[in-house]
Amino acid sequence: MIASLYFSFTKYNIIDPPTWIGLRNYQRMLFEDPLFWHSLQRTLYYAALALPLGLLFGLFLAILLNQKIPGVNLWRTAYFLPSVVAGVAVSLLFVRLFNPRVGLINPFLMSIGIENPPGWMNDPNWSIPTLVIMSLWGVGGGMIIYLAGLQGIPTALYEAAKIDGAGTWHRFRHVTIPMITPVIFYNLVMGLIGSFQYFTEVYVATSGNGGPLRSTLVYNLYLYQNAFKYFEMGYASSLAWFLLLLTLVATLLVFRSSPFWVFYEGEVRK
Amino acid sequence: MKNKTLFLLLGILLVVSMMLAACGGSTAEETTAPEAPVEETGGEKAAAPAEKVKVSVFVGLGTGTDPDQIAAQEALAEKFNAEHTDIEMEFMIVPNDESGERLVAMVSGGNPPGLVGPGGVDVAATYFDLWLDIGPMIEKDNLDLSDFYGAAVEMYNYPEKTVGLPLGVFPSFIFYNKDKFDAAGLAYPTADYGDTSWDVAALRELAMKLTFDENGNDATSPDFDATKIAEWGFNDSWTDLRGFMTRFDPPGAGRPTTPDMKTALINSDEYKYGLDWLNKAIWVDHFIADSAGQQIIDAANDPFGSELVAMFYSHTWFMPEGLVDLPFEYDFAVAPFSQKGTRMARVHADTFYIPKNFANPEASWEVLKWLTSPENIVEVCLIYGCLPARQSVADEYTAQMEARYGEHDYSVIYGAIDYLDNPHHESWMPNVERVGDILQSDVYDLVFTEPVDDTDALLEDANTAVQALFDEYWAENE
Repeated sequence: MIASLYFSFTKYNIIDPPTWIGLRNYQRMLFEDPLFWHSLQRTLYYAALALPLGLLFGLFLAILLNQKIPGVNLWRTAYFLPSVVAGVAVSLLFVRLFNPRVGLINPFLMSIGIENPPGWMNDPNWSIPTLVIMSLWGVGGGMIIYLAGLQGIPTALYEAAKIDGAGTWHRFRHVTIPMITPVIFYNLVMGLIGSFQYFTEVYVATSGNGGPLRSTLVYNLYLYQNAFKYFEMGYASSLAWFLLLLTLVATLLVFRSSPFWVFYEGEVRK
Repeated sequence: MKNKTLFLLLGILLVVSMMLAACGGSTAEETTAPEAPVEETGGEKAAAPAEKVKVSVFVGLGTGTDPDQIAAQEALAEKFNAEHTDIEMEFMIVPNDESGERLVAMVSGGNPPGLVGPGGVDVAATYFDLWLDIGPMIEKDNLDLSDFYGAAVEMYNYPEKTVGLPLGVFPSFIFYNKDKFDAAGLAYPTADYGDTSWDVAALRELAMKLTFDENGNDATSPDFDATKIAEWGFNDSWTDLRGFMTRFDPPGAGRPTTPDMKTALINSDEYKYGLDWLNKAIWVDHFIADSAGQQIIDAANDPFGSELVAMFYSHTWFMPEGLVDLPFEYDFAVAPFSQKGTRMARVHADTFYIPKNFANPEASWEVLKWLTSPENIVEVCLIYGCLPARQSVADEYTAQMEARYGEHDYSVIYGAIDYLDNPHHESWMPNVERVGDILQSDVYDLVFTEPVDDTDALLEDANTAVQALFDEYWAENE
């Protein structure tokens, strides 16, 4: 890390020794490189869709699988399993499924009456949403953590609420949600960091070029291109350090907001 | 006080562990990547005068990683080692998808391989600063280059250095499915380089008649349904804008710049004609597949063998895998004349490059000379599927091709060498990878993704962006 911090202040093409250029890389990044801002925007767009959807979908599945249904362990395993499949394999699978001409998804959509289904990864407007849908495949990891949180809620709280006349929605809203806010907080922080570090799936799905038309050129992919395609290790290091800073600030903001919405059992609030 | 001591201890432990981790990095690499024993590849060990100098040949950036190729390369190394007492050659096979990173890691770790290849002109361009200038070695040995195809030698010559000695070339031409022509009642495209009627307009006309929708209507029919295309008349797979545009004979040939590489020529009349031709071919005439169609073609892995295209423009490197057990008759046709009445048939080329920071470049040079010598070049090219870059072995290689692919007009292949693109379409230019991204993402991919209303304006914008990259480079390097 110390070396990469040093490189971020140098011009370094790997072959020749690094040359000290001070803040030039950071100046270029912030004021001269439109692709830096573009990749940042693509990352934030992805995070804005993937993060809340992942949190909600994971919670939804956890609630479903917290019910007393036959073969519940089998269901839980089935929904958790995809999250341990390697990202590369998942990406290759979904690229094929989403192919507008030979994939299985568009014929299905057409069979249910959608005449002009999206071009998915072929359409610059749909490529990020397609990646977001792909990301939901791995929601089982978050689901398991939610499930643990849900099972840790004392049943006495539900019983007391029921006696007080609370219906299903109110019990969910005023008992379940507050009691699992630490879990939501944990999943939010991990999801946020994961979104900023998003790379493998988009690299595989686009062969590393961020297409179509740079619509999926997320920050880490651009960083990778600078390091291993353009051989600008110094500039790539500055991008990496900016990402670290950005992630740190975003995570810090989430931590700062936590006293307003995260409830810890036994906590006494001033 | 107790806390301070604890913090100090923890701090020291952290720093020491980081230092140990940093020093132990190569050990981790060795355990995860046993096929590339990094410790054994460098020149440091070889510096001892009594020992054989080891030259590791890094294979993986292009062809050379198939099992039968690996076995053939091992046999080649054995042959070399039996003939040499002072140098030991070994092939280091790295999976293609991780080869770039591995090479960079080895170089940045101060442990480069002795030779890298086989790699195309793009490999020379991508890692341009890495390669040794072999010009002084050619001069010192007074090496006779006259047997090589002249243009093949030129491909590796840059104003500041010569990066390679030609090993093999891969001329380009049209592979066509004779059965599809027969079924459509059309005459075959010509194998005669003198036939001036065969130009890009004639190609368009023919390709439209060979493009069919699911109902069997060809692209010239008013009933043709462009949303349900089943077969395309023409495809030029696995190339980029620079490669595609060579057929329109642009200024700078495959490198759209002025000779001093200071001015971009993306907005030349030839580029404008060519991009308009391509745009219409995809979206108006429909004989070239759009990006969704290209995905189908790519998914088939073999565009020609899967019978999705009637005329397939590619290089000789397609032959070893693409012309095996085909369920139809095929033949070769020449690249068409451009709209100007000239012809350019782009070429690919492979050779081995010497990293400039390898400790024993003289040993690498000896291996390179051996690989490209008249005695060995046919054997080496048979491993990699290239056409030997030496004129003296043309007959020997043609006999090999006839034995493998049967009777065809191989003059189509050799004739293409006379029309190759020089400067080459993969050659280096300032900020080559960034320029490549602009040409690919902002122009070439865009045309395949959606119809472009004003292709001229698109090229003007791209030219401005590329020129800015040139100016940036020359401001720093002049």
